[in-house]
Amino acid sequence: MRSLRRPLLVLAGFLALAGCATRPPASEPEALAEYEQTNDPLEPFNRTMYAVHDGIDTVLLRPAAQVYRFIIPQPVRGGIRNVLANLRSPVILLNDGLQGETQRFGTTLGRFLLNTTLGVGGIFDVAKDFGLPAHGEDFGQTLAVWGVGEGPYLFLPVLGPSNPRDLAGFGVDIAANPTTWVIANGNDTVQTLGYVQTGLTVLDAREGLIETLDSVKETSLDPYATLRSAYRQRRQNDIRNGGGQPSPALGTGLGAGVQAPARN
Amino acid sequence: MHRRSLLASALATPFAIALALPARAEMDISRAASFIESTGQELVGVINANQPIAARRQRVAAVLRRAVDVDGVGRFILGRWWRTATPAEQQEYMKLFEETLIRNLSARFGEYEGVRFSLGRSQQRTEDDALVNTIIERPNSAAFSLDWRVGEVNGQPRVVDVIAEGTSLRLTQRSEYSAVISRNGGQISALLEAMRNQIAALAAREGR
Repeated sequence: MRSLRRPLLVLAGFLALAGCATRPPASEPEALAEYEQTNDPLEPFNRTMYAVHDGIDTVLLRPAAQVYRFIIPQPVRGGIRNVLANLRSPVILLNDGLQGETQRFGTTLGRFLLNTTLGVGGIFDVAKDFGLPAHGEDFGQTLAVWGVGEGPYLFLPVLGPSNPRDLAGFGVDIAANPTTWVIANGNDTVQTLGYVQTGLTVLDAREGLIETLDSVKETSLDPYATLRSAYRQRRQNDIRNGGGQPSPALGTGLGAGVQAPARN
Repeated sequence: MHRRSLLASALATPFAIALALPARAEMDISRAASFIESTGQELVGVINANQPIAARRQRVAAVLRRAVDVDGVGRFILGRWWRTATPAEQQEYMKLFEETLIRNLSARFGEYEGVRFSLGRSQQRTEDDALVNTIIERPNSAAFSLDWRVGEVNGQPRVVDVIAEGTSLRLTQRSEYSAVISRNGGQISALLEAMRNQIAALAAREGR
């Protein structure tokens, strides 16, 4: 936690507006233990942000994802997902390296080379059939491996569940992605392609989560608390490379922690 | 996608067979694994049976009632609030919890037509419990892995948790229930009320 003091201070500026959750007194050890465990001192602010997000999601993100699913037939959607994943490979490769994961570094490099060439620019995930399955990695995880604590839980509209560490990692990943620089220095056409990429990333991630998030909202008595718990557990699993399919690459992980989407 | 799930099952099947043999080295693991294997096959058989969905759901519920340590899981999920609840609240909570759990799970599994499952790697996690890994495949979907935490209850193996990609169902649900109680000033009755409403909503949907 100590190493997060500075980003915390920055955050504290605008979070002060929203107030904090009340810390239980020491006379209630169980309540206090739960408070620490939940790691959500900014809960009132976060719940407000969740409500904002839920509004945006209901009127914009989810309907857009449904339209996307409706007009783009499946083999094409799978290809788009593969291309987007392939474009993220350099970032995954960098983080594999920074974590000293030599084997996973090799896997990512092999995947990128195979899928970019044989897989026609990443449309087909041929590397998987060569025994090189996909995995996710990001700078938030790298920081965690380096011993940086997560800091208080955050929920941000559109980006979803996060924390200062993962949010900082999200920014570093964008800055470290060669695609970002190609787009920033490109002509109008390239910049348009950049917007298309961002738009498709959001649509693809949300489309893959339609059933999962519907089911959370339908069955949970408190979807905010369910997503918070699921996100934090899933991040723990990802950090120790516990396996499972990589979570959709939307920001810091909207929906990460809920079951990875089945592809239909 | 078909090719992928075929590939996954081709890989998973010999793996599961290979696993069944050396597992006898650790009694607990092999017992837990064969318990999950037989329960899973039973579930898959029921789910894929040629029956109306309501009948299927009922049979799924019956299998789950036998396989899951409903009491233990229910207490775990209520956590610290169990002790502040009155005996009457505890009793009602257990009743509602069982119904919620069974309805939720059987509604979900009941729709998994064409599902196949196989044992993956299996490993012991704690002194008391074993974690059994399974691979679930559905037509037109990517295969995914589920870990079953198996504990011993009255000498019998019972499921005490389901873990999907590192996310424990009982931990997530404990967080959910505790949030409901905390946000209602520590009133267990608020949770019970919410659970009653949820069951009514589930029942209404199943009735459709």
